[in-house]
Amino acid sequence: MTALVSVSSLSVSYRSGGQDVPVVREVSFELPEGRTLALVGESGSGKSTVAATLLGHLRHGSRLDGGEVRVDGHDVFALSPGRLRRLRGGTVAMVAQNAGHSLTPSMRVGRQIAEAGGGVPVLDLLEQVRLPRPAELARRYPHELSGGQQQRVSIAMALAARPRVLVLDEPTTGLDVVTQRGILDLVADLRDELGLAALLVSHDLGVVARMADEVSVLRLGRTVESAPTRKLFSRPEHAYTKRLLASVPRLADDGLALVGEAGEREIRARAVVPPQAPVAVSADDVTVDHGSVRAVHGVSFELRCGEIVALVGESGSGKSTLAWALAGLRAPSGGTMTHQSGDLTRLARKRPPGLRRRVQLVFQNADTSLNPRRSVGDAIRRPLRLFGTAPNREAATARARELVRDVQLDPALADRLPAQLSGGQRQRIGIARALAGEPDVLIADEITTALDVSVQAEVLRLLDDLRRERQLACLFISHDLAVVRGLADRVLVLRHGVVVEEGPTQAVFTDPGHPYTRELMAAALEPDPDARPPVDDVPDWEETADADGVWTDHGHGHRVRRWRPASTPLVEGVP
Amino acid sequence: MLSFIARRTISALGTLLLASVLVFLAVQALPGDVATKILGKDATPDAVAGLREQMGLDRPAWERYLDWVESALHGDFGTSLVSGKPVATEAAAHLGNSALIALVTVLFAVTGALVLGVLAGLYRDRWADHLISTVSLVGMSIPEFVVATVLVLCFSIALPWFPAVVLYGPDASVGQLLPAVWLPALALATVMAAYIVRMARTSVIDVMASEYVTTARLKGLSTWRVVTRHALPGALLPTLHVIALNVAWLVGGVAVVENVFNYPGIGKLLLTSVQNRDLPVIQAVALISAVVYVVCNLAADLGSMALNPKLRTRGRTR
Repeated sequence: MTALVSVSSLSVSYRSGGQDVPVVREVSFELPEGRTLALVGESGSGKSTVAATLLGHLRHGSRLDGGEVRVDGHDVFALSPGRLRRLRGGTVAMVAQNAGHSLTPSMRVGRQIAEAGGGVPVLDLLEQVRLPRPAELARRYPHELSGGQQQRVSIAMALAARPRVLVLDEPTTGLDVVTQRGILDLVADLRDELGLAALLVSHDLGVVARMADEVSVLRLGRTVESAPTRKLFSRPEHAYTKRLLASVPRLADDGLALVGEAGEREIRARAVVPPQAPVAVSADDVTVDHGSVRAVHGVSFELRCGEIVALVGESGSGKSTLAWALAGLRAPSGGTMTHQSGDLTRLARKRPPGLRRRVQLVFQNADTSLNPRRSVGDAIRRPLRLFGTAPNREAATARARELVRDVQLDPALADRLPAQLSGGQRQRIGIARALAGEPDVLIADEITTALDVSVQAEVLRLLDDLRRERQLACLFISHDLAVVRGLADRVLVLRHGVVVEEGPTQAVFTDPGHPYTRELMAAALEPDPDARPPVDDVPDWEETADADGVWTDHGHGHRVRRWRPASTPLVEGVP
Repeated sequence: MLSFIARRTISALGTLLLASVLVFLAVQALPGDVATKILGKDATPDAVAGLREQMGLDRPAWERYLDWVESALHGDFGTSLVSGKPVATEAAAHLGNSALIALVTVLFAVTGALVLGVLAGLYRDRWADHLISTVSLVGMSIPEFVVATVLVLCFSIALPWFPAVVLYGPDASVGQLLPAVWLPALALATVMAAYIVRMARTSVIDVMASEYVTTARLKGLSTWRVVTRHALPGALLPTLHVIALNVAWLVGGVAVVENVFNYPGIGKLLLTSVQNRDLPVIQAVALISAVVYVVCNLAADLGSMALNPKLRTRGRTR
């Protein structure tokens, strides 16, 4: 019997600037009923383009150069428009990458689901994707839902037509670990329950290890390696696959992983911060409000020279708000923040220049934080002149090139515009710009979130080098526990603006004391299909405090906010 | 939502009030004494003083402003200095005639422009798009009185289908005016539509490239449904304000075109009253244009609220 989906030597090119650029070259695979195939690759690998061809879709400006895609025996690119519509509305359905953007903002979600489908009642579908109060939810508009709810609605919409093939294009990118875990479990259950074949597109090897039966690794439009999941993760054959796998930070890494050309992994021992290292920044009982909402609630920490402290938490935990307050972009409403040389509670524009240049922020999105019309060299030169670190134009230009070299880029790149650089290069320019003021405190706000794993590994290494060479103190903000594990010396776990646990990285990861930390760790996905989560029991809990204070001390600076098991177990159906 | 409507309405009323002050002040600032102008240079000082008193010109300006606003609120805009008839009746007759042109223009321009703009956006970079874009660019660059003149040359002189000028006064019936409406309306619609077409095209292209439209297509929906249900509400939002601005622009555009055709509308009235220094009429017409502007913008804001659920549901709890 033939496979439900078969793609044979598919080639697609994209017309750009008068030239045909191949984006997919000779890709072939088969997807039998009830199986899940993952297409893995970094940006530019063509994985999303391949996925969309299963629905007979090519982006505006793309062209089919050769090969064919057969779904249920039909060549999708030979179908008449009417038959193609029936294929899309019946046999194959897609869950798009960003549910926030893929739902029509002006339509109620219930109607959007209804029009996608066959005879399945909308409320049943919403129940199937485990959304609470479906009747009320169906009447909402997309912007009235959370990110996780939007993604569930997207899945319900895909299931409405009762498809036999589900195409999932990065279904959990941009979601928190805990939400991601929930969505993946849901998709896995539905797939098994309905016997669907699934094509999963992802750059996240952890997601792939959790979901797929087979994996195809794509690079620059070509299939590099295809194998059953277990085999691919345990015995990768191609050097690129090995490198890719090695670049993924693991929860067990006690230090930064340095990846070699052939994919060998070497764990660099953590830099030792001497106990007498001076304190660069200390924050005490900091509170930040967004209007009437308290985003950060009484956070205290110290950051010493040469030390990397990580702030970990889900979106909305207040970690970025705290970083912005420290950088002087948002005024705290209470508490103190002090630097060796001055007061940090004032906004950046009110800080004296000497202090301002010493605390620098690197933004999450290097592409949106650089002026698109100015060369990146210009972006670095400006703070040089502003802080007076370079006496004249020539000196500033020379110093800018030096900084570009410091972040391990070719100095010739200084003359390029941001759009002419890759994401990783732009992020390094962002770091170089921050370094221009010769700061001693660097605040890194999710700086590797948008990067491919191999690029992420390079940027992390750069950060680690910098703190070793320059004794930089770094506040590293991330939602990715594995990244934090290898890089940070100490960790603060933030939940709803409150620190629930803090301590040396090693201690927190080997013995997480707070249920919320355990929940985060249980939801983290490792690039290994046989990986057991580092913790599997997450008790129900509630906050508590007694006369001895709010902390339980575990020694060596590891302390956990008091909690107690929930007194009333949660029962479904009880409000 | 209600607070949004209330706030917009209040700010619209405020704008109107400000406009009325400006109109009044502008008319006051006109050089020369009205009474002297009316009576001529040879009038005796007694006669001038008498007229000034009769017109209330001897009182302070703020008092006259309040009087004017108060009676305007009752629908009384004073008496025309030229015809001696109440301004309100005169303006109403002209306004009605202009509204006839405006209605036909808006009907043609908006529907036509939206259809063409959406078509151009949907068939982007094909011949239909190129044709529509080029024609609208031409329409944009030619002033309305040139379009009007060309139309007269073609359709009243070369092909005598429509009258070139109107021979009736402001009291003409709709039936008498109807044959004369088409050419002015067409001239105005050409210019007005050009802007709307370009805006509609751009926003349709933006929306058609959005992820939610792609998703809707991949759900297997028909093109018609994708366009009408998913793409248009989003694409109309930015277009709506361009439409509002253009409808408001009509007030000025009408003035020019009406003079080409000698059409007895509000524009013609404005021009004659300016020539005759008929101050009460000028004030009334200026205020009417202000009302049209404010109402158009208010309508656009409320319309965009209807199209944008984010505005509509603001304040509702999650």
